[in-house]
Amino acid sequence: MTSEIVRFFSVQVALIAVVLVLHTYIGLHIIRRTLIFSDLVLDQLAAFGAMVGVALGVEYGTAGSYLPALFAVLFGALLLAWIKPKGQAIPREAVIGIMYAMALVASLLLGDKLRGGGTYVTKTLAGSMLWITWPLVTVTTVVYILILIFHFKFHRKFIDLAERPETVNNEKFWDFLLFVTQGIITVLIVPIAGVLLAYAFLMIPAAIVAMFTKKWLLAVVFGWTIGFLACLIGLCCSYFLNFPYGPSLVLSLGLFFILATIIRCLFPSNKMGFVKGGE
Amino acid sequence: MPPIIQILGLPFLACFLMSLILGYLGTHVLKREVIFIDIALAQMAAVGSIAAHTIFKAHGDSALVYVCSFGCVLLAAGFYAFVRSRINQISIEAIIGISYAIAAATALFLLGIAPGGHQHIQHILSGSLLWMRWEQIIVSLAVFSVIGFCFYLTRKPIASISNSYQKGTAKSLSTVFWDFAFYVLLGVVITLSVEMAGIVVVFAFLIVPATISAIFRLHLHLQMIVIWIVAILASFIGLLFAYYFDFSVGPAVVLALGVELVVVSLCRQPMARLLKCPQ
Repeated sequence: MTSEIVRFFSVQVALIAVVLVLHTYIGLHIIRRTLIFSDLVLDQLAAFGAMVGVALGVEYGTAGSYLPALFAVLFGALLLAWIKPKGQAIPREAVIGIMYAMALVASLLLGDKLRGGGTYVTKTLAGSMLWITWPLVTVTTVVYILILIFHFKFHRKFIDLAERPETVNNEKFWDFLLFVTQGIITVLIVPIAGVLLAYAFLMIPAAIVAMFTKKWLLAVVFGWTIGFLACLIGLCCSYFLNFPYGPSLVLSLGLFFILATIIRCLFPSNKMGFVKGGE
Repeated sequence: MPPIIQILGLPFLACFLMSLILGYLGTHVLKREVIFIDIALAQMAAVGSIAAHTIFKAHGDSALVYVCSFGCVLLAAGFYAFVRSRINQISIEAIIGISYAIAAATALFLLGIAPGGHQHIQHILSGSLLWMRWEQIIVSLAVFSVIGFCFYLTRKPIASISNSYQKGTAKSLSTVFWDFAFYVLLGVVITLSVEMAGIVVVFAFLIVPATISAIFRLHLHLQMIVIWIVAILASFIGLLFAYYFDFSVGPAVVLALGVELVVVSLCRQPMARLLKCPQ
């Protein structure tokens, strides 16, 4: 019994620790540029791709189902980088939001034609992180480390993209690369964690730290620490109190976010300047 | 009466009513760049409704369900209005996006500890437009009329806040109040609409027609006419598509809106000439 608990926790904790580093960093880009819906678009497209795989006879959650998901996500990254409304009348976030609605609708319409389609829609929302195995953790870790190296090498470009986009040549190309890396981690994490938890991993730790610091490294370190702590609490609640897995983790992260919001409201600061939001 | 009118008559009426009010609200949502607001408020309302069913054991569409939904919407409206006046480090859209994740996780959490999970989620997502009843249409007409009148009375302060939403944070008490009033009224419309049509349809009615009209720089009156034509036409086409090809009604309407947006984006120059607007 004890070894089972140790096994359960060690696999989960290892995966969460790896996942949170990259998610917090990319999340900071998303929060600072107000591209909030982009993750849901990619999550939903990954889920849609996996459902297309099911329609083609590939079992959900297997290695084969990653391929259609990857294709769908690459297509999404291309659209996200390419479609950028000119002028102020239409915010970029609106276009991204519409893409999300379309991806969700595509999943729902496909679900209509699949046997037990409704359960797939729910499954992709809730995820199945309880079934994590060591090989899966290894693959995820390797891919995440590769992407981390890539982001480390080109961090100046990506940070310029967020802070001084006018100085970046080939803005759409770098945007595309950002969305592709976001998409790849999405493809890996959505079948395990589900759309909602993947979104929470990306957004919540980053949003918490973005309220308190503008420094990127400090934000990643603190974001990771807070996110990891929140996930541990959620994990324990899920295991010992028998609560649903994904929602427990999201709610735990959410509590930390609400706490951070309360602290920021009680001690408002204008030092960091106003975030205009939107592009 | 022909069967097609028997089946699609009431859903079309519901779409018609939603088009009128959601189309107008969409212009404000786009200006404020709070694209997530409707999904977040709809999700909050859904949490209220699920809580009423699972915790308070309410049945069907009883008054308790609406009271709980409205309570959650009020809470969210107050939170957004207050937080926007205090936090300027991250955009309000990010805060709304995260509150959506927390609300969605709460819904999954409540459903996870209660039986009958995925049908409920499917229902919240894609709604039950096909099963509209006359009572629902009459109630919606009455509520939307009252709220439409409220918006008419408060159009000046709300429009002035919407127009300057991205320029800075609101510190004054009156701005917080009008913000709160806007979110409450929007929340009521969304709560009622989501009960009828589901989150995706409501989102699409709010954002897509407003985005289409924003492609052309039009005077407000002409903009509203374009919005209403677009939304009503999409309802008509979507319902027929669902009827003849056997798809869910809600997602089909959203798909039609999406197709309209793509067509208008591609043909914007000849259309702009037709509408005699500057390019």
